[in-house]
Amino acid sequence: VVPGETALAFYKAKNPTDKPIVGISTYNVIPFEAGQYFNKIQCFCFEEQWLNPQEEVDMPVFFYIDPEFVEDPKMAKVDLITLSYTFFEAKEGQKLPLPGYQ
Amino acid sequence: MSTAMNFSSKSFKPRPPDKGAFPLDHFGECSAFKERFMQCLRDSGYESSACRQRAMAYLECRMERQLMANEPLEKLGFKDLIDEKSEAKPEK
Repeated sequence: VVPGETALAFYKAKNPTDKPIVGISTYNVIPFEAGQYFNKIQCFCFEEQWLNPQEEVDMPVFFYIDPEFVEDPKMAKVDLITLSYTFFEAKEGQKLPLPGYQ
Repeated sequence: MSTAMNFSSKSFKPRPPDKGAFPLDHFGECSAFKERFMQCLRDSGYESSACRQRAMAYLECRMERQLMANEPLEKLGFKDLIDEKSEAKPEK
C-alpha cells in the first residue's frame, strides 16, 4: 500500500449459529502510533450489520494512509500496519464464538 | 470502545469512516468483482497499486447496485485511472 493512494481490503465474516445475529464491529490499528494516519473512507464498521444463520459475507474497507506518514520520523521503521476488526453481538445476553477473519 | 487493554495513558480512539458504512452485499452481487480484485492481488504479490483498476470496478459495481453511495470516482482517488480511460476512448 502506498501512502496517499486509496486501497481496498476485504474481510469475511460468518454467522456460525442457527439464529440471525445483529453484529457491530470496531477496529484497531497496530502499531498504535500509525492509527492517526489510517483514514477510512468507507467500511462496514460502526453500524449494526445483520447476518442470517450460517451466512458468510465479504466486508470491504476502503481506506488510505495519510501521505504525511512518510514524513513522520517515528514511522520510519514502520513497514507493516495491521488493521483488525472485532465483531460484537449487538444484542445483550447471548454468547457466541468469535468468527474467524481472513 | 477500545479492544486493546493497555496501561498507557493514551487509548486508541476509533474514528468513524469519512463516507459512512457499506451495506452488506447479502446476495453477493459484487462477489465476482471482488474475486477478480483478489486474484489480481495474489498475482501481483499483494501490491495494492497494481490492482487499483479492479478495486475501482468493484466500487462501481457497488454504486450501480445501491450498495454504496454514489461518489465521483475522481474523488475516491481514481482520478488518474479515469483520465487514462477518457484518453483511450477516442482511439475507438
